[in-house]
Amino acid sequence: MARKKEKKKGVKIEFLSRSILEGKSFDEKLDFIMEKVKSDVILVLEEGLTPEEKKKLIERSVSEIDDNFPGIEFSGFNSNPGIFEKILSVLTGQERKEGLVIVGSSKIMEKVGEEKDMISLLAKME
Amino acid sequence: MLKRFKRFILRLFGKKPEIRLGIYGPPNTGKTTLANRICLDFTGEELGTVSEVPHETREVQKKERVVIEHNGKRMTINLLDMPGISTKVDYKEFMKFGMKKKDAMLRSKEATRGIVEAIKWLDNVDACLVVFDSTKNPYTQVNVTILGNLEAKGIPIIVVANKIDLKGAEPEKIRDAFPQYHFVEISAKEGKNVDKLYKEIIEKLG
Repeated sequence: MARKKEKKKGVKIEFLSRSILEGKSFDEKLDFIMEKVKSDVILVLEEGLTPEEKKKLIERSVSEIDDNFPGIEFSGFNSNPGIFEKILSVLTGQERKEGLVIVGSSKIMEKVGEEKDMISLLAKME
Repeated sequence: MLKRFKRFILRLFGKKPEIRLGIYGPPNTGKTTLANRICLDFTGEELGTVSEVPHETREVQKKERVVIEHNGKRMTINLLDMPGISTKVDYKEFMKFGMKKKDAMLRSKEATRGIVEAIKWLDNVDACLVVFDSTKNPYTQVNVTILGNLEAKGIPIIVVANKIDLKGAEPEKIRDAFPQYHFVEISAKEGKNVDKLYKEIIEKLG
């Protein structure tokens, strides 16, 4: 008798290297992030976000809140570029975004604590 | 840049420009209590209603031409009390305050619209008070995002550590988290240190 495949309970976490999102516009990155987050996947992005990108992430996720999606939790370490990095980004027109971002639906992820150099999260399993 | 140039030209001809002063922060940090305090002190009437239920302010509340005075110095502001910015709005949270499901869901919808409106206004304010609850952890992505966007646009900021009247208030944690900004600790509810805030607004944001 064939065994029925059991669906595993738990929270899926995906770690994304910088190269996966490279070359995409930020709107395309947001589409990607939102699709994953709304499928209850917690994403860990190697690349940090600029304040403008964080603003867009909040705006987009809040716009998509409905009865089934209550919004997001996100945390991250922020880079603190020195004067040399700032000049370089002005000269090259490219901002190198150091840091790390963790983002997930607030249905499955709860932020417990966040400091400049420490983040603690609780993954909720219903 | 254009706004700054306009203000510079106005000053050159001895005219003081009116400033659009936004009050920003997460929900329930006391933004409307502070806006009411400012309006009561200088116009005699309040601006909005306050509530313990989060997202009481769901539209930008405006009070135009409020003349702030301190030690003989004056400054005219157009005050903008913003809806609290958050990354999530769960109608079930409102039901914990005794709200019916239908009302809670409506409040949730209005709250999300308010957050988007507040975010859009970040591009249109001349100066900001970013209000924190002194009993809560200041280092959140919402706070970092608000401050980072204002800083990137060169908009002058005063970090306001509110609710210092409450037990457990640690305003020094807010000052230490964001030492690069002007900082004032107050109780908007009790009026404690609001004079210091008015002085800072005139001196640092004018």
